[in-house]
Amino acid sequence: MLSETHKFPIKGFIETSFLDWRGELSSVIFFGGCNFRCPFCHNSDLVLQPDQLDDVYLEYIILVLRKYKQWVNRVVVTGGEPTIHFGLFNTLGYLKREGMKVKLDTNGSSPSVLRGLVHDGLVDYIAMDVKGPLGRYSEWCGIDVDRNTIEESIRFIMESGIDYEFRMTMVPDFHKEADVYEVAEYLRSAERFYLQEFKPRKCLDPSFLNIKPFSAETFERINRNVNQIRTTGSKPDERVIKFRERKSRVKEGG
Amino acid sequence: METTDLNLFVRTSEETISDWDRSKIADALIRETLIDRDTADQISLEAEQMIRKSGVKVVTAPLIRELVNAKLIEKGLEGARKMHTRLGMPVYDVDSLILHPNKENANVPHGPEATNLTLAERIKKEYALLCVFSQDVADAHMNGDIHLHDLGFIDRPYCSGQSLEYIKRFGLDLPHSLSMAKPAKHPEVLLAHLIKFAAALQSNFAGAIGWDAINIFFAPYIEGMSDDEVKQFAQMLIFEFSQQAVARGGQAIFSDINVYWEVPKHFETVPAIGPGGQFTGKTYGEYEKEGQRFAWKLFEVYKEGDGAGRPFFFPKPIVHITEKFFKTQGHMDFLYHISDVAADKGNTYYVFDRGETAKISECCRLSFKLDESDLRDAREPWRMRYCALQNVSLNLPRMAYMSKKDDTKLFNLITERFVLATKAHKEKRAFLEKLLAHGEDGPLALLTMKRDGMPYLRFDRASHLIGMVGLNEMVQIHTGEEMHESKKALKFGLKVMAHMKLLSDKMQRQEGFRLVLEQTPAESTSYRFARLDMRYFSPASGRAVKGDIASGEIYYTNSTHLNVKYPMNPIERVTSEGIFHPLIEAGSISHVWLGESQPYKEALADFVIKTFRNTTNDQIAFSPEFTTCNTCHQTGRGLLDTCSYCGSANVDGITRITGYFTKVSSWNKGKRGELTDRHRVGGYFADQKKAANE
Repeated sequence: MLSETHKFPIKGFIETSFLDWRGELSSVIFFGGCNFRCPFCHNSDLVLQPDQLDDVYLEYIILVLRKYKQWVNRVVVTGGEPTIHFGLFNTLGYLKREGMKVKLDTNGSSPSVLRGLVHDGLVDYIAMDVKGPLGRYSEWCGIDVDRNTIEESIRFIMESGIDYEFRMTMVPDFHKEADVYEVAEYLRSAERFYLQEFKPRKCLDPSFLNIKPFSAETFERINRNVNQIRTTGSKPDERVIKFRERKSRVKEGG
Repeated sequence: METTDLNLFVRTSEETISDWDRSKIADALIRETLIDRDTADQISLEAEQMIRKSGVKVVTAPLIRELVNAKLIEKGLEGARKMHTRLGMPVYDVDSLILHPNKENANVPHGPEATNLTLAERIKKEYALLCVFSQDVADAHMNGDIHLHDLGFIDRPYCSGQSLEYIKRFGLDLPHSLSMAKPAKHPEVLLAHLIKFAAALQSNFAGAIGWDAINIFFAPYIEGMSDDEVKQFAQMLIFEFSQQAVARGGQAIFSDINVYWEVPKHFETVPAIGPGGQFTGKTYGEYEKEGQRFAWKLFEVYKEGDGAGRPFFFPKPIVHITEKFFKTQGHMDFLYHISDVAADKGNTYYVFDRGETAKISECCRLSFKLDESDLRDAREPWRMRYCALQNVSLNLPRMAYMSKKDDTKLFNLITERFVLATKAHKEKRAFLEKLLAHGEDGPLALLTMKRDGMPYLRFDRASHLIGMVGLNEMVQIHTGEEMHESKKALKFGLKVMAHMKLLSDKMQRQEGFRLVLEQTPAESTSYRFARLDMRYFSPASGRAVKGDIASGEIYYTNSTHLNVKYPMNPIERVTSEGIFHPLIEAGSISHVWLGESQPYKEALADFVIKTFRNTTNDQIAFSPEFTTCNTCHQTGRGLLDTCSYCGSANVDGITRITGYFTKVSSWNKGKRGELTDRHRVGGYFADQKKAANE
């Protein structure tokens, strides 16, 4: 059976990572290919030309996981988008049999796959990227997306009973501050919502490389507002947002 | 012919112009060398004739001296020439030295003070090679068989480790100082004493100045301070140390502070000294909470960084992880706290003191188990001061070129070089002994002061370090494989180190002084060895040196480290490198290069605990990289050519060179080659690309 996994498009493997599972040591498996085309994606090779990348065999991965079991007992499954691959179930099955805890990174485009994975007990943690306010989703992810699918995934994850987080990468100029606050408000009842910094490296759309990231202070300010929304529900005044936004971009020369 | 016939003026070294006087030549020869009066007269006459023939009107004293030296060589008086020679530098060199920065030590900024330091170092270096060391030792250094570290500081010991207790008990009472300060009554005064004493020590040692259990020994002074005051105090301490670049040669004091979350066992029942040098009536064990409060605040300051958000370069905080650490309340919170600093700024060094035996950290991370006499010392902690007199490194790859894959030859060469290094230590030891013999009237007065009945520098307890560079390349040349490539290669490396450990034990017994192995930081040595081997052992060396030969950015892998470029799992790295650490008593470390990535503190903490439990690694550090902008003064993650906030190209890269953080622009070529190669964790696809491009 295992030999069939050769067909599974695993394109990358980090044996030990300090930053892919919040607060834990983990190994990371990358699936090639993705159904989204987010212009700010930082794994563009994996998305656009997975065939050009070498396969990593699951047999090899499992041997490595066994070797470092004393150190690492968690695997992050990411991509690309893992849920577009039928072989995902099989792969996760092998990982679970090794006693690994599994975290799945997803864009939430396949709620039914998520449902199946949780039902089969194959994942312990789901991290879903929310690309922006749901009303204009296709704008953020570069393809036509039915917002109902995304909403269904969000609802399912929140009710699934397993640990989860939502996260949003905020791209200066591409996202307005108000967009972030809208998502934060929408996900208020979610247990965890994290804002991620955009870094202008290896973007799918090369023009995004010219975007200047936020200064530490600006990012902190936005994060404070997000936390305020999550705890008190009160959004900062829109005129104030616009004013602050303009001011910080001018200051940062954007 | 009479000298007076010569209408000639001499510019002397005393900044005067004298009339020509031939007898001065003869007098100097008699005074400085062992030749007889007649020969001296004859030489002075010949030198005079030469000058006369040349027709110059004004000659300089150095020129006369060199002409006389030429005559000494003509007569085969080589020994006399060596004694009569002059030390100094060509105008061209001085000119470029004043204009351009020194790259040999990245901890020296460029400026008039630094130039003074370098000029003095050059002369002392020449002096050392000519007068302190025997010919074979000096030659071995010159041709790169071995490296004698800090030759420019030949008249000082290498490094020093001590505790605050000495100044707490005796105040600041230094030989020849203009005023004497009694033991400090207030924390701020104690801090001032500490900084001044550190600066005084810097002037008497070549390298690192370390402070043991600093948060524990400050604790009695911190009692009663509010949390905000403790934070302010921590801030003062770190800024004072980090801004001491106004001291010697514009060089920051290379300082370590050792921090413990728990009160180490050997200090638990020791009577504590408090304000005014008085015993407080409590033991240090009873100050655990105060010590912890201070440790916590110190790391809060490290986390914030300097005014521009950059990491502090000095003092380096070294946190000891012991069995007791894990039994002490709040240790996980503290571990997360210091790992937060490690993830964000990189400052934290984690030192692993495994087992229940008491250990102490000397200078340069040299730690040793306390024996009974040490434990007696620990009862009176002001007595605990340790030093290393000198550091000598062996060029391991060269031995492999020379032994041509013959094991017996190789191990024999290691032995020979080791014996030579020991000889170098003996010679430096004899020289320092001579200087110290002058006591408080001599050049090393500070080290001979006897405030507690014995000299500050405890000569009989001093260590002598023997380091190594390029074990990886030695194994590569000898076996055909680098140490990461096979178990067999790694094992061979271990065999070499075991042989060296055995040698150090043997030589120590034979010579009667402490001789220990050290992982040489080799900031410039690995570059120097690689360059010299490219000159003498091409083409074989071209296949072994690391880095980029075309641009000259070449180096050997530091000490016993594994290839820095190989994309190795950090677990594998700390485990494999850690197998060497039990053999190396002084300063072993494994680096985890983080690059741009910002890990979770909990993940680092977990990694640290597992390294403590699952490996024999002695010390680890995580090194992030930064780009700080001189235009907009923002500091961001990663080494970039332009500021990602404002686009300015006026930026400085900052990361860890070997044992400390510094600006990349100050690095020598070899280290820059290493920086290009360093494998950073977390960059899977970047590695793939790199590999594909090769």
